[in-house]
Amino acid sequence: MKVKVVSIPVHDQEKALRFYTEKLGFVKKLDIPLSEDSRWLTVVSKEEQDGPEVLLEPSPLHFEPAKVYQAALFNAGIPYTQFNVDDVQKEYERLEKLGVEFSVKPTEMGTVKIAVFNDTCGNNIQLVQLL
Amino acid sequence: MTYYLKEITRIKNTCYANQGQLDTVIGTRRYIDHNYDNELNLQVLSHIRFTSKFHLLRLFKRYYGQTPKQYLIDKRLEESKTCLANGSSITEACFAVGFESPCSFSTLFKSKFGLTPTAYQKKQLSQSLRRDVF
Repeated sequence: MKVKVVSIPVHDQEKALRFYTEKLGFVKKLDIPLSEDSRWLTVVSKEEQDGPEVLLEPSPLHFEPAKVYQAALFNAGIPYTQFNVDDVQKEYERLEKLGVEFSVKPTEMGTVKIAVFNDTCGNNIQLVQLL
Repeated sequence: MTYYLKEITRIKNTCYANQGQLDTVIGTRRYIDHNYDNELNLQVLSHIRFTSKFHLLRLFKRYYGQTPKQYLIDKRLEESKTCLANGSSITEACFAVGFESPCSFSTLFKSKFGLTPTAYQKKQLSQSLRRDVF
């Protein structure tokens, strides 16, 4: 068994694709039309293109409980997913210049440093650096 | 203040209140990161951090979830991927990252990544050829 795909629920797939590629720097991997308003749309890390794919899934549009769950997590400030980086402070400064909003600025938590930003698609995403 | 921020503060105060212990384990991890290609063992690491071997072992496992030895092996295996991708032989990669036996290196590599160092190297080569062709 292998971890190949992890899902992130998004309100708007096209907007999500722009955010995840243009701001975060991911690379589009698969884009397969499924119906009029949904695609099997995945992105991967630029440095690890054979690594796990992130599926930008439009579940909040089609499944009410997904919408409710996503909104509850977002309002509580809880990050849905986390990505590892080498330097949280550097990434925070880079993304802030691009207009990305952070709800948690770089903060040390024991043996990690974290920061949390709004992905503009309904999710809080956490950046993590191992100290 | 959001629920998550409150939780972060609570966890920080309850689990990560001992800065001295944190400095010890963070310093140990950094030392391993910079010296993984040398001969390293618990004796050396505890000597550098002025602490007892078993105390360091317990602390490291508590804060990082794995022992210093497990962390060192993972670090060496990750670094060996770069050596192999750059064309080093199995033996060269093995010694470059601090392992002493190509045979145990191959066994550890396969158990962590699911393929042998040779298979990994072949895969990397075919992927880079494919990228050049297309």
